[in-house]
Order: sequence, then C-alpha cells, then structure tokens
Amino acid sequence: MSDLAIGITSFPALLLLIFLRVPIGLAMFLAGLVGLVLVTGDTTIPFARLKSETFTTFSSYSLSIIPMFLLMGHFATLGGMSQALFKAAEGFLGHRKGGVAMAAIGACAGFGAICGSSLATAATMSRVALPELRRYGYAGGFSTATLAAGGTLGILIPPSIVLVIYAILTEQNIAKLFLAAFIPGILAALGYVAVISIYVRLYPGSAGTRPRVGWGERMRGVLDVWPVLIVFALVVGGIYAGWFTPTEGAAVGALGTGVIAWVNGGLSWATLGESFMVTARSTAMIFFIVLGAAFYNGFLALTQVPQEIALWVVDQGLSPLLVLALILVFYLLLGCLMDSLSMILLTIPIFWPVMQGLDFGFVSLVDLQSARLSDLIQSGAQIAPDLLAQAQAALAQGVELTRDQVSEIGLRGATEGALSRVNTEQVAIWFGILVLIVVEVGLITPPVGMNLFIINTMDRTTPMADTYRAVLFFVASDLFRVVLLVLFPVITLALIPW
Amino acid sequence: MYSFFAALSKLMAWLGGAMLTALVLLVCASVLGREVNGILHADWMVDLAPGLASWLLDLGVGPVNGDFELVEAGIAFSIFAFLPLCQLTGGHAAVDVFTSYFSDRVNRGLRLVTDIVFAAVMVLIAWQLWLGLLSKKSSGQTTFLLEMPVWWAYALSLTGAVVAALVACYIAAMRLRETVSGTVILPVDLGADH
Repeated sequence: MSDLAIGITSFPALLLLIFLRVPIGLAMFLAGLVGLVLVTGDTTIPFARLKSETFTTFSSYSLSIIPMFLLMGHFATLGGMSQALFKAAEGFLGHRKGGVAMAAIGACAGFGAICGSSLATAATMSRVALPELRRYGYAGGFSTATLAAGGTLGILIPPSIVLVIYAILTEQNIAKLFLAAFIPGILAALGYVAVISIYVRLYPGSAGTRPRVGWGERMRGVLDVWPVLIVFALVVGGIYAGWFTPTEGAAVGALGTGVIAWVNGGLSWATLGESFMVTARSTAMIFFIVLGAAFYNGFLALTQVPQEIALWVVDQGLSPLLVLALILVFYLLLGCLMDSLSMILLTIPIFWPVMQGLDFGFVSLVDLQSARLSDLIQSGAQIAPDLLAQAQAALAQGVELTRDQVSEIGLRGATEGALSRVNTEQVAIWFGILVLIVVEVGLITPPVGMNLFIINTMDRTTPMADTYRAVLFFVASDLFRVVLLVLFPVITLALIPW
Repeated sequence: MYSFFAALSKLMAWLGGAMLTALVLLVCASVLGREVNGILHADWMVDLAPGLASWLLDLGVGPVNGDFELVEAGIAFSIFAFLPLCQLTGGHAAVDVFTSYFSDRVNRGLRLVTDIVFAAVMVLIAWQLWLGLLSKKSSGQTTFLLEMPVWWAYALSLTGAVVAALVACYIAAMRLRETVSGTVILPVDLGADH
C-alpha cells in the first residue's frame, strides 16, 4: 500500500473506532500510531516521536491559555457573576413577553464574555436561570432550549477555547479571531431574543408574566455587574490592544475573577479544590484530544493526504462558495455526533489547506494599494504631487499601479505576496468564525447535542422531547445566521484591520 | 482500592491546580512588572520623580526573567497531573450514539477492550517520556534564558504520567475482573457528565 493509500484508509478506520465509543483522543492517537508504523516500517520512528511529542504538546505556552480560561470561568461562577448578570438583565427585560428567557440569553452572552466554554456557560446559567424561568411559568422545554442555545454564546463570544485551538491549527492571530467573533456573537444573541419573541407569540401558554421592576432596582442590578465588565474589558481589550499576549490575558482574567470571587466570599479552600477538580477534568480531556490529534495529524502530513485532497478539490474547479457550503454542511452533520473541539482538531488540518487553495478574492490588489497609499500619506511621507495625483487617479478608476509607480512612490506591503497573505488571513478568519458557529449548532441539535443533555440533567421534570421541539427554533436562527455570514463576509471581517 | 486511586488522582489534580495557580500569579507578576517598568522609563516619570524611578528600576522592577520557560515547564506538569482524575472518572470525550443500539454484553466487551488498550497507551506514553527524560539528561540540554536543565520539567511531568498509567492499568484490571467474575466492581457511572 502506498503512503497515500494508508493515509486515506485511516479515515474510515478512525471513524469506526470513534463510533465504537473509543475515546476520541485515544482513537486519533491509535490511528496515528498504527499509521506511522505502517508508513515507516517499524516502531522506531513513532516511539522516538513520542519521547518528546507528548511533553512538547503539553508544555505549550499558547495552549496554556486553555486551563487558565477554564479556571477563570469557574472563578466567575464562584464570584456570583452569573447571578449578577441574570438579575441585571432580568430587571430590564423580565416584564416583557418572554422577557425572563430573553434575560437568560442576555446573561449567557455576558457570561460568555468571561467564559470560553459552551458547556460551562450552559451549566452555570442553568443553575441560576432555570428556577426563575419555572417560577414565572415558563414551559419546561422552552426554558431548557433557551439555556442550551444561550450556552453556545459562551464559545461564540470571545474568549473562546475552540477559537484558540483553531488559531493555533491555522497559525492565525488569536486577537484578530476574537475580534472577528464579536459581531457574529452579538448577532447570535439578538437572533435568539427574536426567536423567543416569536415563540411566545406562537405559543402564548409557554411563558408567564413578571411584574415590571423600578429604575432604582435596575440600576442597582447594573452596578452589580461591574466586575464582569472590568474583567472582560481587561482580558479581551488588553489582548486586542496589545498590552499582553492571549496567555497573559487569560492569567490576568483568572486572577481578576479569583480576587472577585474571594472578595464576594465565594472562594474558600473547599471551592478552590472543587475548581481544581473541574478544571483538571476538562483540561485533561481537551489536552488528550489535542495530543491524539497532534499525533494523527503528524502522520497525515507525512502521507501528504491533506495536500492531495486540497489539490484535488482545486482541480475540480468547483466554485469556492460551493466548496465552503459543502464543508459547512459536513460540519453540521458531524456536529450531531461529535463535540466541537474534537471536530475542529480532526478536520481543520484537512479543510484548511482546501480553503487556502480557493480564491474568494476578498481584497484586490487595487484595494490593498489604496489602503497602503493612504497609510503612507497619513504617515507624512513626502511624495511628489504629480506622482501622487496620477496614482490616486489610477486607483480611483480601479487600475492597479505599475511596478514602477509602486517603487517611485515608495509603497510598501502592496506586492502580490502581501496580497495573498492578506487574503489568506481574511479567509482564515471568516472560515474560522463560520466553522465555530456550525460546530456550535451541533451542541444544540437533537438527538445528541451535548448542551441539551447537560441542561436536561438539571431539570429532570422536563421530557427530552419537549426540549427537542423548542430547540429547533433556535437551530433555525443559527442556520439563518450562517447563511447571512456566508453571503456577507463583511459582517465578520468589518473590524479586522489589514 | 478504588478509594486509594480516587484519593491519589485528586491529590495529583490538586497539585496540578496549585501549579496552574502559581503560573497565573507568575504571569500576572510579569505583566505588572513589565507595565510598571515601562511607566518608570516614560519621560514624564523620569521628569517627575527621577530618584524614585531609578530606585525602583534598580530594585529589578520589570518582567519576570524566563516567565515563558517557567510557564512551559509548569503547565506540562499541570496537564500530566490532571490526567489521572480524568482517566479514573471516565472524563474522556467519546461518541455513544451508535453503541446505545448494541446489547449490554457487546458494550461491556467493547469497554473492556478499550480500557485495556487505553492502559497500554498510557503506559507507552509514560515509558517514552521516561526515555525522553534520559536523553534530555544525557544531552544536558537547558532552557534558553534560565539555563534550567530541560529534564527537570520532564521529571516533574513524569510523576503525572506514571500515576495516570497506574490508574489506567487499575481500571483495565478491574474491568477484566468484572468480566471474568460477572460482578460490578467499579462505579457504573464513573462520574461522566452525560
């Protein structure tokens, strides 16, 4: 068997293992190990790689952001931030039709801004909001579905653990990805609020009413939320402003939420130990998958499979949008079976080269030259007036500057190479956000969405079928948003400088 | 026996968590030092309080030297130390959509095989880490800034890897005993989330 054939055969073998309930990290590890042995002939090379690869995978500075974010999310819960957020949102929205559910979505969005995990957001907010929803007469399935959907905001709104992994796999800037997730995240929250509004009009019996609260109480609620705002501004703002690296941001956030939890009396030796246990389990689970994926992807790269697939797709001459649509549909289907992190680790090494090979033409050479020219003018460089006028006239008509013009003006960073770097980054960011959304849809898609399970274990009185029925409305809003973001890349890319 | 391994795993998770907390504090100290250092070098500060600024700078206010290396070494220990708890409580992500259609017998058999293979893999990882440690020790490789021997970090991580391998072997052995004797020894639901 050729190396390529071994590489391709490894896919069905790996899927078979996963579907036989072999833990995903272990399955990838085994597929990588066996594959390497087959390709290289014996166990010398794979074992030699193991000597250092396990350690180097775990001792990664950029990945150390993950346990820190997990710890931060848990500290935020201990500090009572979930309650504070929900109370504040409830004060403003609670009296509306479906208002308590809307408040739950708002609080999820707020909690998502200090928590990078979907399951954690769903679980934490459920503890706070489910009892309230039921108290005010909201139907069981509607309540659980709302919280399951709200949980996905935890991963959409930065910081986001899945996005960190994506950034590392595609070698992209984490700060830019966080920034790009922002508008889609807000859109998601607004979409869910719209769904709630429609749902309670379609099924008036599904939501009770809650009395309006006065402005005094509302303002007190807002005041209680300030720690959340500070931590978010410090972490995400600080990473974006370049004050610190993403890992440093996570550390600052963990310390900040830890201090707040301690001041609020939520942090004792017992709860600290509990935080360690929760963080330990999630971290170990994530890193074992990361390890398996590193091993498997190392093997795949050796067999040249990702490059061959990318070449093959480009050779088919399909339209880039069609390829993108097929990939997204694939994720939606796979998302019904697998958790988001495993999916990303398993598929991005294959799909990213494919996406890189496609030309979406976000930025043209004229765009890039215009942008760099105005940078140059703003920096106060001396340009001969006639040269400048000529260049500006050409660009205004959509004509590229010639090589001579570029060198005479002294324009930098406007070459073909720079253009392809800019476009690659734009595609990477856009694709990353789209993938992030579709894998999240998997978390709330019946029958196996993980968020649904987590929440249903907290509300045993609600039959799963009720949750399934109500959650379909939220899934529909997700799908609508995906289509919107595919058709209008600018929504995602508007904030990203190039 | 189970309670022994549970206590051991929790202890490791606690140590890993303590290390993680220490790293969080270290990174924050480094960030703070760097920012303060920047302020002390700023023109307005030098104009305003030159004595204070140079005194603080002489005290060594600045980023922690080699924080990057310490985070890399420490986080590896944390993650290895987190593995045993995840292993013991069955915390690894898996897809159970299809297996729910199989009979109980088939599922038990699958789980037995999986746990035995898992134990073998964890032993392999620990063993290769040990060999990696030996080669780092004999090569005398050190980190760039602190010139800390790389094998120290390997040795620290090895403790977690060994405990994880022991736990995996224990689980596999108990599954085997359950199968042979037809009894239930391990908690049925190993604390899985769903």
